Amino acid sequence: MRNRCIKFSLLLLLAFGLVSYTIPAWIGDPIELKIPKNWPKPTYDFSRNPLTKEGVELGRRLFYDPFLSRNDMISCSNCHLSFTAFTHVDHALSHGIEDRIGTRNSPALMNLAWGRHFMWDGAIDHLDFQALAPIAHPAEMDNSIEKVVQKIQSKPVYKELFFNAFGDSTVSGERLLKALSQFELTLISANSKYDRMILGQDTFTDQEQNGYRLFQKSCASCHTEPLFTNLGFERNGLPIDTTLNDYGRMKITKQPPDSLKFKVPTLRNIEFSYPYMHDGRFKKLREVVNHYAQTTALERKIDLSPNEKVDLVAFLLTLSDKAFLFNPDFSFPRF
Amino acid sequence: MKNSIVFLLLGLLVGGQAFVLWHDNASMVSRSSDAMRMIHVQPMFQGKKVVLDEQMRSQGGDPLKLNTLRFYLSNFVFLKNGAVVFEEKNSFHLLDLEDENTLDLKFDALEGRDFDGLRFKLGIDSLTHISGAMGGDLDPTKGMFWTWQSGYINFKLEGTFKKCPTRNHEFQFHLGGYLAPFQSVQSVQVKIPKGENLVLQLDLSPFFDQVDWVKKYSIMSPCKESVEVSKVLANSFSVHAE
Ligand code: HEC
Ligand code: HEC
Repeated sequence: MRNRCIKFSLLLLLAFGLVSYTIPAWIGDPIELKIPKNWPKPTYDFSRNPLTKEGVELGRRLFYDPFLSRNDMISCSNCHLSFTAFTHVDHALSHGIEDRIGTRNSPALMNLAWGRHFMWDGAIDHLDFQALAPIAHPAEMDNSIEKVVQKIQSKPVYKELFFNAFGDSTVSGERLLKALSQFELTLISANSKYDRMILGQDTFTDQEQNGYRLFQKSCASCHTEPLFTNLGFERNGLPIDTTLNDYGRMKITKQPPDSLKFKVPTLRNIEFSYPYMHDGRFKKLREVVNHYAQTTALERKIDLSPNEKVDLVAFLLTLSDKAFLFNPDFSFPRF
Repeated sequence: MKNSIVFLLLGLLVGGQAFVLWHDNASMVSRSSDAMRMIHVQPMFQGKKVVLDEQMRSQGGDPLKLNTLRFYLSNFVFLKNGAVVFEEKNSFHLLDLEDENTLDLKFDALEGRDFDGLRFKLGIDSLTHISGAMGGDLDPTKGMFWTWQSGYINFKLEGTFKKCPTRNHEFQFHLGGYLAPFQSVQSVQVKIPKGENLVLQLDLSPFFDQVDWVKKYSIMSPCKESVEVSKVLANSFSVHAE
């Protein structure tokens, strides 16, 4: 008995010694992100930013803290509201600090762990770096990461939160961005009627089923299941808005073939993330479907009868995920 | 019985920690006894050391002043007859003419080794770009990361030059870009002469000679010109022993 105990404690010691030697500080409660069944592997490299309960909590606080903006008024959630799939409904172009108006519609945020490019033109290639853009944008938070780090460092409540998440209370750009990523990575939407149907836990009505068939035929090449985006850049036939002259992907690559290409957005929770498109030009799904049925600018023309349009919209509504929209872990944290 | 086990456990834990501490200290001692080798980086212009905010003259006699000179040097590899002698790990250095300390590059465990060549990169490689947020010299608070588009600014040079047809003759070069066809990071290989105090010079004269100042006084995002100018700079390094 005693012998076994000694062996056990020796083992413990070894484990403890090793752990404390190789990982200087064992920090936080690790979280294993639940990857929905039959989904591809996430693109985000979690080994460089392992999720912990404390890291996610810190990220959530930062996401909801207007302190990140120059005048302490605008938080990320101003333009990315949890109940509307983390977008800014009703505003075609996003509103930021002092009601300044941006040049693009704020996209819904979900399933970001699978994203390869961020922003409508894919200007940003890693989720960690995305937050630098709104922080610095003069019409969004109008601040700089240097100033945000100073501000956060001086706010006592964050001392503890950074300590819990990173093992000491130093604030750095790296840590701030990684914490924001941690929260954003947990925003997974995979519990819609569509998902339950796929798993055999629910059934579609005839109308939804017909809409699904039409969707697979006409839309799925770009809005590919299960993420409802092929993660690429495509031209979907929208004519240029000459008041904005936004040529999308070409702004980044400077290659003419990329003119008017935009990142294919997910269609999950599309019922709630109106208005639609990079410039928010459509308010209703009906208008979107009408656009696709009318446009001659697509490589493959889409034909839809009036009834088919209704069915297609009925299918799109099966992508709503109430459990995601009202997940208490995603909403405003108690400060 | 139970007590003794608790004791034993405690003892072992304390012992384990002591071991860890001792081990850490030991490795620290061995490190500090291993003298470092230093290379001083020195930007030059027309044969003189560059001093910020001091008026200089180009070859053609036009006055110019530099306000900002910051750049990344990375992936240092020391060579002997072309073979690798020492490769620095996590090798990212932000050099800032504003801060003298950043111009002294220190390399562990190089003392006593024989080398005659040096390979490094001007800028940050593509792989590092897609690895997410990083700390130290790569922390995005260093002002060397574009905000509206992913990417480190490999090289930042700002100042005034009489030849620029701009307000107050100002120019800005923020060179970077890691996606094809605008990959701006450059590999540099230089010979190292025998000698004690090594100085890695970056001569800005070819840059000022080759830029078409009437047309190209501002680069602020990845583009073709960014790649061209980066190449000129990469060819302007040399090592001297003082
Ligand atoms: C003033 C409104 C506004 C604020 C504040 C704001 N955003 Fe955004 N967000 C936008 C807009 C608009 C876009 C699209 C920008 C573009 O495509 O150029 C966007 C894009 C994004 C994206 C990319 C999504 C994708 O799929 O491409 C993420 C992630 C994001 N924001 C997170 C944040 C975070 C984190 C914060 C706080 C640090 C924040 N946003 C603050 C308006 C805002
Ligand atoms: C050729 C690729 C392609 C096809 C086919 C396609 N889309 Fe799109 N879709 C896009 C792109 C790209 C955007 C974003 C365009 C923009 O904002 O300028 C988009 C945007 C949308 C949006 C707005 C999303 C948002 O968050 O604002 C909806 C809704 C939509 N598509 C539905 C559909 C439906 C329904 C079909 C089939 C009838 C379809 N799409 C077919 C590429 C495509």
